[in-house]
Amino acid sequence: MNSWLAVAALILFVSLMLVLPLIPAFAELRSKSDASPLKVVQQHAGEIRHFANSFRTYIQVLEPTLQQCVASGATASGMLPDGVEYLALGQCDDSQTLSIQQPGAICPVTIAAGSDLVVPPDTTFLRDVYAGGRFRGGENNSYRAILGEKNVHLGRSSRVTRWVHAVGEFSAERDCKLSGRISSDSCIRLQGACNFLRLNAPQIETGHVMPGENSTRPHSEDNANAGSGVVQRFLYDGDFEVHADEVVTGNIVARGILHIGSGARIRGSVKSVSDMVLGAGVSVQGSLISGQQMFIGPDCAVNGPIIAERALHISAGTRCGSFQHPTTVSAPRIEAEEGVVVFGTLWAREHGEVVASR
Amino acid sequence: MIYVLYFIVFLICVYTARHYWFTLNRLFAFQRHPYIDIDTASWPLVTVLVAAHNEEKVISNILGALMTVRYPEGQMLVIPVNDRSTDGTRAIIDDFVERFPGRIQPFHRAAGKGGKAAALKDAMELATTEVILIFDADYIPGAGLVKQLVAPFFDPEVGGVMGRVVPLNVGTNLLTRLLDLERTGGYQVDQQARMNLRLVPQHGGTVAGVRLSALREIGGWNDQSLTEDTDLTYRLLLHGWKTVYQNRSECYEEVPETWAVRIRQIMRWAKGHNQAMVTYGLRLLLGKHRATLRERIDGALLLGVYAMAPVTLLGWALALAVFFRGVAPLHGVIAMFSLTAYAALGNLAAFFEIAAAARLDGTRKRICLLPFLILGFAVSIFSVSRAALSQIFDLVTGAELHWDKTERFRKVL
Repeated sequence: MNSWLAVAALILFVSLMLVLPLIPAFAELRSKSDASPLKVVQQHAGEIRHFANSFRTYIQVLEPTLQQCVASGATASGMLPDGVEYLALGQCDDSQTLSIQQPGAICPVTIAAGSDLVVPPDTTFLRDVYAGGRFRGGENNSYRAILGEKNVHLGRSSRVTRWVHAVGEFSAERDCKLSGRISSDSCIRLQGACNFLRLNAPQIETGHVMPGENSTRPHSEDNANAGSGVVQRFLYDGDFEVHADEVVTGNIVARGILHIGSGARIRGSVKSVSDMVLGAGVSVQGSLISGQQMFIGPDCAVNGPIIAERALHISAGTRCGSFQHPTTVSAPRIEAEEGVVVFGTLWAREHGEVVASR
Repeated sequence: MIYVLYFIVFLICVYTARHYWFTLNRLFAFQRHPYIDIDTASWPLVTVLVAAHNEEKVISNILGALMTVRYPEGQMLVIPVNDRSTDGTRAIIDDFVERFPGRIQPFHRAAGKGGKAAALKDAMELATTEVILIFDADYIPGAGLVKQLVAPFFDPEVGGVMGRVVPLNVGTNLLTRLLDLERTGGYQVDQQARMNLRLVPQHGGTVAGVRLSALREIGGWNDQSLTEDTDLTYRLLLHGWKTVYQNRSECYEEVPETWAVRIRQIMRWAKGHNQAMVTYGLRLLLGKHRATLRERIDGALLLGVYAMAPVTLLGWALALAVFFRGVAPLHGVIAMFSLTAYAALGNLAAFFEIAAAARLDGTRKRICLLPFLILGFAVSIFSVSRAALSQIFDLVTGAELHWDKTERFRKVL
């Protein structure tokens, strides 16, 4: 073979190999099929009531129908604008509801009630449920989502897969599994062995709370506005212990394990890069942050956010935040004993559970 | 000569391993987002500084966006830092002040030293809150962003916070698409992996926050620095404060649309970064301070990223010299492999990182553009090397460092 031809063939081959990966690149550059900016959450900002608000807007078209149903005590059915089937209920006592859905049945339609709604046990609701008044669910039910304009009560062993919002109080009996977002504009009460992920209400109670625990008084003279106050910072490179009944004014940062003895008072925020253990009756003005696991003993009071990066146990009698200073309690796994009160948000990323007090 | 080459190859291998480590961590390990769940709290007073130097094309967008963010009423004060603007920036700011009384306090700076750090330093006289957020004028914050950026300050160890930058003008041309890929890799993988591994997430100086008491402790803004954000990261670190990265606190920005602007931007970044390397490198590695061993190592590697460009160029030159002089590599096949794979081709692990980042973002087709990154890489390596050389020249001649403002491309509203 002519040597020039061989060189030319080689150059051609190498050029081809070089251009080959650029073919899809040129195609994409020309077509711009994936050239829009990455979608950034600009508006709803993770608001827990986002889905509830959207659903309320979605079913607004049913308002005249619901008013008619309430006035006449009748039931109506039809299609929503997007083709989803609905059932509008005017007067929803037990007997009427039971006539619509037999126990053990699957309800495939969106339910909208103009007044109180009582649903039978052992029923699976595949679509969202709206109650213009109080909502009371039977035992062992399964819900996709519920919006209640007054109180919402779930029977024992009920399940929620997406969200619930109650304008009034939300309560769940034992063994309920509450996936997704549960919110109330008033109060959330969960009985023992309930599982949860994200809860938000002015007041959240687990199990039976002793009288006085849910009082509206501020539990100390302290202010939870941890980020706004300039206080001294104590930085420790290893493990550290705050002794029982000790009073510390300032922020504490321990790069190891942190123990806070019973009755200690911290006028500031506390951070441990590793585990953190609070004894009984500890009060913390600011936030509690742990890079690993956190154990909060009984009868503690924490004003600021509580964050544990791995797991969190909250003992009975502990109060997190206050009416004046609602807060966030968050960890991938949370165990809250019966008798805990959280004012604000209780958020377990993977698994939250109400457990019996030790 | 061969030993210098081996050292360069070693350095490139270290950075390669680092890229793979970060990428694999991001793909398979536990992801840290500790503060993102804080949605209810007694939100502290916050000051939002908006750095603006001749920003008439974009300033109204950010001020308008900041007026709609969800933050308790009366708890947030916006201070547009109008740094010697000669265009319509001042008039636009004053118009907003009139429309939103009590919510915006303008800081009009008519004279003084140039540069963002100098302007921020002067504006600090007005900032009295413990939490301060900083945005560049071309950014467009979403409704929940301010709360997200404030939330980490409930952690008393946190001195600085950094959110994710997302290019808005992606589809304009090849350059904007390449910059979008670079940003994706840099934030989605690199910054988040450093957050996961408790290393040194970098303060970016925009979509960012700083704790006032920490800033005062470290001596305030350094107006000698070309990249006040890098400078801040290292001074916070040396004083025992953490900078944290919030990958889900995303904010749109405008990326350069012309190569000339891009080259000027990256040259400024390179000079500022190298400046920080010289100032803090040895002290970080060997000094007595509160940084952990892993922070010292990662911090040093981060400081060296821009220095690697001229080092890689030198490696290529040495590799060619070694080849043509017929010097036999000392350690057989492995050495040959290192020379050809890394000294000749450069470090491709960064491309893997970007591809992984695009996958994590759920975008697919834009990965097709990956081969074009060679072009961006080539421009960067020569620009950054040129910056390093000019910096050495400036050092010898005693010339003062010059701050270049990045040109905007948005249409005036």
